[in-house]
Amino acid sequence: VIARVLLIALVVVVAVATYPGTLIESAIVKLSSPRADRSQVSPGLLWLHVEHPGQGVPYIADEQGRSVLLHGAIPASLLEFGASAAAQPGAPIYPLDPAAYDGKCPDAVSAGRYPPLCQADLVQMAAMGFNSVRLPLVWSLLEPQRGRFNQVYVDRIAQVVDWARALGLYVIIDMHQNAYSAFVGAGPGVDLTYNSGAPAWATITDGLPSRELVQGKREANPAVVEAFNNFWYNRDGIQAEYIQAIAYLARRFLDDSAVAGFSVFNEPQPGWNLPPGFEDLLLFPFYRRVIDAITGVGDGLPCWTAFFMPAPCCYPDQGIHDLHHLVFLDTGLAREITDFPTHLGLPLSSYANVVLSIHAYTHIYTFDALAGQTLENATYPWGGYDQSYSLAEREAKAMNAALFVAEFGDSPSQDSLILANQLLEQERHQTGFAFWTWKEKGSGGWGMFDSQTGCLRVARERLLARVYPVASGDANLTYHYDSDTGAFTLSARGSAGQPATFVLIPPEVKGSSAALGAVTATTETRPDGSRMVTAAPSGGDFSITVALAPLVLAGCG
Amino acid sequence: VLGLLSLPFGVFAPFAIWAGTRSLGRIRASDGELRGASRALAGLLGGVIGLSTFLAGIAYWLLAS
Repeated sequence: VIARVLLIALVVVVAVATYPGTLIESAIVKLSSPRADRSQVSPGLLWLHVEHPGQGVPYIADEQGRSVLLHGAIPASLLEFGASAAAQPGAPIYPLDPAAYDGKCPDAVSAGRYPPLCQADLVQMAAMGFNSVRLPLVWSLLEPQRGRFNQVYVDRIAQVVDWARALGLYVIIDMHQNAYSAFVGAGPGVDLTYNSGAPAWATITDGLPSRELVQGKREANPAVVEAFNNFWYNRDGIQAEYIQAIAYLARRFLDDSAVAGFSVFNEPQPGWNLPPGFEDLLLFPFYRRVIDAITGVGDGLPCWTAFFMPAPCCYPDQGIHDLHHLVFLDTGLAREITDFPTHLGLPLSSYANVVLSIHAYTHIYTFDALAGQTLENATYPWGGYDQSYSLAEREAKAMNAALFVAEFGDSPSQDSLILANQLLEQERHQTGFAFWTWKEKGSGGWGMFDSQTGCLRVARERLLARVYPVASGDANLTYHYDSDTGAFTLSARGSAGQPATFVLIPPEVKGSSAALGAVTATTETRPDGSRMVTAAPSGGDFSITVALAPLVLAGCG
Repeated sequence: VLGLLSLPFGVFAPFAIWAGTRSLGRIRASDGELRGASRALAGLLGGVIGLSTFLAGIAYWLLAS
């Protein structure tokens, strides 16, 4: 009898710690009303939140309930990428002290793949019509020693946030990593130039060799895989320390509405685990714990945080009670390769402001490209570019989350196909984007600017400096911008007294704007040459158009 | 083992149910010659829970997405 009871108890314990427990936990979350604080009104940039319509896909909205599209780029200059990484891993390439950027900009150095990020960069972003910036930062510079945070680095982040706020740009603070860490160790074929992430004390490789098993794939390294694995299983409490690091940032930017939110973990690799178990039982529960720590919503069961925390475990409230910021959650890396959901889409938190972030790299990192197929002859994804977006929309809806393209980009030679199609899908699915990357030196760079001349690539300016509705009272609007002709059409509906729709026209677009139907519209020309159309609905259907006219592009090449 | 594996990996659940049912049947038919009914029962239980969870998860995805 004792043996029978013990065996059944074992089954129950394993069940609670795995899918059955997760399913019950998700059911409780689903039945809870979404929690967030929308009472605070910002004197500066409007607070963003996630709006949850009855049957539709949740979307990012502002204080007035208008749907908001975030368009922006990703400068990688606050990472520790660099040619000197092998000799001195984790060392910053550029000064961290904000004083080095006050009214000046340090010279770009040859060891750095990315030029320094300066105030002029954000001015350029705003001039292209961007309203946001995804700002990657790195754990190794934030917490170089366990439990000791680098205040100078946080001040540097705050400096960028200050610049952004002054220009009306939102900042997504992105806890970035690539191949886990620069401290995974040198080895055959391993180029640490592009490794970034965890500090040395949180890089536990268990003596596995650091070697590149697949040429050009820094992630296919046993030491990297083992280090990831140890992170997901909270070996030596390193996952808990990571959560503390995000809590530190959340505390610092608690009342700052210019910070749209926090991107918790860039491109999470599964370690030795397989989807969907990796996402459902390790990654998303980790995300829930981060949310628990910074918001205090407390979903899940209390657990010991110094050891492996099974899926239903929550994380202690850190007393920050950040119930305003968005929390951006990257899907597992396998989704980037498959363009297909690699999880069950279970709701993970009762916090309302959750955003599912996809990285859209169709034909770049998907199966077809890994199999060596060319863009013209690719046999995957079967659903084309739309496959990833249509499925992501369903994933977000199931998870009670808004959808955002936290990263996409391509080689400049493929812009006419990849970049153009990605932007088309983003319009169709009304998702915002962050473009990788802003500026990049060296040959083969993906930056918006030519790596040799430093000039804005004209093809990218044509595609990315777009006319778009930055905010709209009608979440069901449709719109299309034609980057060849400069023409734009938007169709929406609104009742009298509803919040106005704002359409941004970047300086490159010269066609005249017009409003038709039940709307009163005004157009303001701004100092940088861009125009903002404000359309207040008077009850009924309306449209906003920009007539076709040759674009005036400032870039070259 | 299959029963426990089917909790994190639902794909094992049908095999756990098949193996658990078959083992229990053989143990009962052996008139005490074969032992391990508790383990077979635990495996069967794990398989049933694993399969139910797996189906519930798939159903949620289909209905909610």
